[in-house]
Amino acid sequence: MTPPTGYWSDAPDGVILLAYAQGDGEAAKVLSARLLPRVLAQATRMLADQAEAEDVAQDAMMRLWKIAPDWRQDEAQVSTWLFRVVANLCTDRLRKRRGVSLDQIAEPVDPQLSAPARMQENARMRALSAALADLPERQAQAVALRHLEGLSNPQIAQIMDISIRSVESLTARGKRALADSLGKHKTALGYDDD
Amino acid sequence: MMTKSDDDFLDDLFDAARNQVPTVPDDLMARVLNDAHFAQTAPTRAATSSLLAGILDMIGGWPSVGGLAMAGVAGLWFGVAPPAALSTWTAELIGTPVTVDLFGDTNAYFTEALTDG
Repeated sequence: MTPPTGYWSDAPDGVILLAYAQGDGEAAKVLSARLLPRVLAQATRMLADQAEAEDVAQDAMMRLWKIAPDWRQDEAQVSTWLFRVVANLCTDRLRKRRGVSLDQIAEPVDPQLSAPARMQENARMRALSAALADLPERQAQAVALRHLEGLSNPQIAQIMDISIRSVESLTARGKRALADSLGKHKTALGYDDD
Repeated sequence: MMTKSDDDFLDDLFDAARNQVPTVPDDLMARVLNDAHFAQTAPTRAATSSLLAGILDMIGGWPSVGGLAMAGVAGLWFGVAPPAALSTWTAELIGTPVTVDLFGDTNAYFTEALTDG
């Protein structure tokens, strides 16, 4: 007999993933409801493109389903593993965007799309994503995990499998590079020069 | 070196990014659950394939299957229509069949004994 969805409400992600691997019919629904919003949010923040973010989210979840039979609960947390997968998938996509001018990205494509404030925020997010694309991949991942996801340095170290000192170095250099590249477009992005 | 205004500017951008909390579209959720269902049932097919692969490995892979099939066909053919050379060869190998009547004289001996008696 299949347990009701509420049965899993307090269970760790890893336990539910193992239940999924053993054929539980409800486990995928519970995991998707729990994990997909965060996966989609991470991809949206890094890519600033809804369609691409959805593709990455679906791809990341597919990888989760595929790894389920081999999941070893004592080695990693599902959330840590997913942060890593999404960050890698996003930097793969950002790499393909390299060289796109921030001037082009900062310009709203269609002024009729939404209210000016919303347009400006979209332009800012696209500019941020384009600037991330121009960073070395490890810097882009560390900056995104630290400043877009709000994770701690030890959490990032675990996700990226590097030392905390390396995380500090990557985020500092990445933030400095972002300030250099985006600083030139402050006015266009609606930030007044001091 | 970043100035205070650079920090403020970037922090504002980061805050705006963090505040983005997209709603999961229904069709994305449906696609993800469809993938989950497919991946969950896929191992059954994989296991079947593994079982076949395991048996093949035990007997030496597909080339062995071909050899076994050839041997079977050849055996069947020799059974249906044995070539003349094969009969000669088997005769040389195991000798010409000889019929031996182990009890050929039994009746005579037995009859004679009864008569004498």
